[in-house]
Amino acid sequence: MTSAPVLQISDLRKSFGSEEVLKGVNLTVQRGEVVVLLGSSGSGKSTFLRCINRLEEPTSGSITLNGNSVTASNANLRTLRKQIGMVFQSFNLYPHLTALKNITLALRLSLGQTRQAAEEQAKHMLAQVGLAEKAHAHPSELSGGQQQRVAIARALALEPQVMLFDEPTSALDPELVGSVLEVIRLLRQRHMTMVIVTHELGFAREAADRIIMMDKGEIVEEGPPEQLFTAPKHPRTREFLKHFTGR
Amino acid sequence: MEQIQYYYFNLPIMRDALPTMLHGLGLTVLMALTTVAMGVGAGLLLAILRSYPSRWIRWPIICFVDVFRSLPQLVIIILIYFALPYAGIEFSPFWSTVLGLSLVLAAFAQESFWAGITATPRGQWEAATATGLSHTATVLFVILPPAIKTSIPSLTNRIIAVTKGTALGSAVAVQELLAHAQSIQSVVANPSPLTLGALLYMAIFAPMVAFSRWLEWRYRWSR
Repeated sequence: MTSAPVLQISDLRKSFGSEEVLKGVNLTVQRGEVVVLLGSSGSGKSTFLRCINRLEEPTSGSITLNGNSVTASNANLRTLRKQIGMVFQSFNLYPHLTALKNITLALRLSLGQTRQAAEEQAKHMLAQVGLAEKAHAHPSELSGGQQQRVAIARALALEPQVMLFDEPTSALDPELVGSVLEVIRLLRQRHMTMVIVTHELGFAREAADRIIMMDKGEIVEEGPPEQLFTAPKHPRTREFLKHFTGR
Repeated sequence: MEQIQYYYFNLPIMRDALPTMLHGLGLTVLMALTTVAMGVGAGLLLAILRSYPSRWIRWPIICFVDVFRSLPQLVIIILIYFALPYAGIEFSPFWSTVLGLSLVLAAFAQESFWAGITATPRGQWEAATATGLSHTATVLFVILPPAIKTSIPSLTNRIIAVTKGTALGSAVAVQELLAHAQSIQSVVANPSPLTLGALLYMAIFAPMVAFSRWLEWRYRWSR
């Protein structure tokens, strides 16, 4: 790949009080690449993801999106955040708004679209995640899997440069996980650039271009999935994958 | 028994007092409605302002709220009516009462709305922020609608408690319901007008109490 990377993160550090949770993480993500972050709880992978759009304020280090600094003190955060889609473990849909309005809100307020354009776009996005008929349902009327697909549609509607997924299936009943992963697979086919934190190892192996193994705030190993799953080098990676038998 | 009837439920006296008392009732309702509009409006505005991450906004609001939650309403009304003129600021008896009560209601309403805002899960803020919404847009369109719902039970309780304070207007000579009841009572030397006043207060506040129960009941099930 010769084009400039979408995301370039260097020496990212984050401390909560005296505890350093990110100890200088470097990551470069190319356009269309799917990067999966693995690691046990507390390894810092979620914090790392949340630093990328500065929901969590990094202590030091630099992040650029398409060459524009996210970490500069004069960075236009609102503009940059529109280009970084984020999907949360707990969906975080707005409970008082319908699925359609959950999506149109940012289209209208962040992008300044007209009501009609926003609704058209939102319907289009809902159709893409297979929920066209749920446009007027409130989140409480949707299953967890459906809610998460609406949340993905909400992030996608802004046409971001990169999508961040923070354990998108961890809050779901097992039988609902598949529908969400299906949507992510679809995005992969369309060459969406994605950084995904997940515990779905089977999915990681199948969908990732590159896997990053994190431990105690550091990247301990990275490489193509086959290499990591069949011949892990670092003892932590071996330990982590030991219980994985392949699904 | 007869004595109770004569002194407290004297129908001829009550009948004669009624037209004047109804006039007072009108003023009481007007004061109550003005107080609710000003107090709840100001309380909502303060709660919104308090959500901004600036201590220069947050601190004065917290001070205001704590002062007006701790002062007795009567003291505030009397200070506004009798003390402020020395500073060159004069309010009519009506506005002294309404302003005093509005300040108290604003302080309590702010606390109710603020409790609703802080009860909103962090994820709501994060989702809105991540899609590039400004702080103001996030508060107005994402945080407040559910927060207002959450704050309704405590808010309606406060509205009722504070608006009943319109009776304190009689202390600064607002010719509202209680003032009329007291003056007629002293003329006819019979406290029946007070009973009538109590019934009229019930007539306006009982529906408010019932309405607040209904609101609480409704929102409990729709959440």
